[in-house]
Amino acid sequence: MLRALWWIGFSAAGVWAQTLLPGVDFLAAGLVFSFQEEGRGRALLLALVFILLQEGMGSQPFGASVLWYWFLLLLVSLGQYIFQPRSAPFAALLGLILGLLHFLQTYAMATLAVKAVPLDRVLVESLLQAVAFPLEWLLVDLLYPARLRSHDQPV
Amino acid sequence: MKLKRVAVIVLAGLFVYLSLYTWNLRTGHLDTLAENTGLDAVRLALKPGRWLADQVSAFWRRYVHLVGLQEENDRLRKDVDELLMERNALRERAMSTDRLEKLLAFTPPAGWQRVGARVIARRMGPNALLETLVLDKGSIHGTAADQPVVTPQGVLGRVLRAGFTASTVLLVDDANSRIPVLGQKYRSAGVLAGRGADRELELKYVNLNAPIEPGELLVTSGLAGTFPKGLPVARVLRVERSDLSLFLDITAEPLMDFEALEEVLVLRREGTEPQASPGGD
Repeated sequence: MLRALWWIGFSAAGVWAQTLLPGVDFLAAGLVFSFQEEGRGRALLLALVFILLQEGMGSQPFGASVLWYWFLLLLVSLGQYIFQPRSAPFAALLGLILGLLHFLQTYAMATLAVKAVPLDRVLVESLLQAVAFPLEWLLVDLLYPARLRSHDQPV
Repeated sequence: MKLKRVAVIVLAGLFVYLSLYTWNLRTGHLDTLAENTGLDAVRLALKPGRWLADQVSAFWRRYVHLVGLQEENDRLRKDVDELLMERNALRERAMSTDRLEKLLAFTPPAGWQRVGARVIARRMGPNALLETLVLDKGSIHGTAADQPVVTPQGVLGRVLRAGFTASTVLLVDDANSRIPVLGQKYRSAGVLAGRGADRELELKYVNLNAPIEPGELLVTSGLAGTFPKGLPVARVLRVERSDLSLFLDITAEPLMDFEALEEVLVLRREGTEPQASPGGD
């Protein structure tokens, strides 16, 4: 129950944050944290909800968020073999990759859908994404209720 | 072994993704699903937040900034604040009434009905490629994709996607927006295209010898069938001749500040009853 309330609150806060900074994903950090703390099953369920939210509020043909979250979870899965997965440097690295990915993916999806892309705006969004992701991951790590934390963490 | 497993996961993921993408392009089912779940959930998340923000702001004004003053000053200041708040609330209500009266005074063209809607958000999320607004009205209120969205000043765009209780509007200034228009005075035809937020609009495909002048109002031509004929969209700013092009180089400005919009009207054809959106854009 507490877990469900926490994630509902997180999602609502994320949606609000996204109205303040358009173009930046404020749900991704929660998904990565869920994958690391709660395991693959719960993270996939959360990814499904986040995909529907992002696709619903976005203005691209369905699919961009599927690719976005799938790539993010793949990065985290692979990263745990090479880096210390639950650390600020790893979150910063993920932020940098997500920033780059936002630029490339927006350009690719817009080209696929034959739409014009304001590259200067997307570039600013990418920089903001790279900065916001690790900060938000640290905030989620700080605020996540102690009662929900497992002693034998999945990642 | 690990590399092989990763390669299989990557390839399988790509295959599933491309299959879903192409299937959705043909059927639009996934777009409809996202509109009727994600977009409506966003509305649910935003509406209580707006109410909460208003309450917190009112609480702050009423109590917090009075702490620390003398008792007498407290009472007087409280009275003044309450009167000011009352005056502000009444002024806000009067302005809101003014706006709503103007909206209600807008007479839709023959064959069209209006649906009033409030703006609850602007462009949001990592997939927000286009310049858009989110309205609190959806298919159960009668909105559907491609319906014109207007204010008493003129056209601001068209419905891009419609969920059950919320819709997304593509604004005139988006780089992907195209509206066939006519000059109101000289009736020269062209296509009005956006260049992005806070940038001027461009009027394309107007012949070099076509009569058009700065200040002239551009109105919808009704040719594409999406917009009724004769709605104002923009005003001509500059007309320049190009040595390289067969067309005039014309710049125009929108008739309203899209950032300041609070209430709008969605136009729907008479005889189309509120129903579920077909999805897709």
